[in-house]
Amino acid sequence: MKLRRPRRKPTVPVNAMSDIAFLLLIFIMLISLINYRQEVPIDYPEAERAEITQVDKNLELWVQKSGDLFHDGKRISLRDAEALIVDAVVADPAVRIHILADRATPYRHVAGVLEVLQTLQHRVVSLVVSESAPQ
Amino acid sequence: MIRLRTKRRERQDVAASGVLSDLAFLLIVFFIVIAVFNVNSGFLLGLPQKGSVTTVHVDDLMRVEITSDDAYVLNGSRLGVAELSQAVRTRRVTQPNVTMAVTISPDATYQSLVTAVEIARSNDVDNFSFSMAEER
Repeated sequence: MKLRRPRRKPTVPVNAMSDIAFLLLIFIMLISLINYRQEVPIDYPEAERAEITQVDKNLELWVQKSGDLFHDGKRISLRDAEALIVDAVVADPAVRIHILADRATPYRHVAGVLEVLQTLQHRVVSLVVSESAPQ
Repeated sequence: MIRLRTKRRERQDVAASGVLSDLAFLLIVFFIVIAVFNVNSGFLLGLPQKGSVTTVHVDDLMRVEITSDDAYVLNGSRLGVAELSQAVRTRRVTQPNVTMAVTISPDATYQSLVTAVEIARSNDVDNFSFSMAEER
């Protein structure tokens, strides 16, 4: 005589899903904390076609409409910027310099930063924009 | 004696209901979006060495001036963004090696420079140079 065992229905362990989700959450939170940057309130210039200019090592210089220069949320002078760029390039020659300037900034203020880069013979600079919808 | 039997409601396990996982996934999406916002996009420019001189054929040179009121001036006439883009496109057909030399007023806005760079890039102009006009 054959005995038949009652088969269990296959189920998805829902409880484990929330555990995995929380682990993922912690992981992503840590990653975003690493990427955290001190934003300076500016109106980004707009362009329809922009390429991603972010690399592994980046140095961001923010220029406000008034011409004030910031790095990591702290106000700096052009001389400080020069020192920062030198330190960053010495630490990693592949560092990319990003200029995040307010769209209404008079060009003379941005030219000041570009001149520092030229003096230091830093060749590549990224002008950061926000992508606008095509008209 | 009459014994009343009340029906107790079954307690639902919070974790088993799937609410927590939904919440966690929403938070994950939020943090992914935040992380994506931090990626810089824009234009990469190669800066020339200070004081360096580049020789360009006169026919290939296209001088554009950006005035203090953000107008683009080409050959003495003020152009809008679309008109300048069209002019660059037309010029590039006749002179594939066209060099766009932009002179920017110190009072012109940064946006006007970005727009000029975008016009050069969208029309495949490889040679692009910009400098600040001397202050009067």
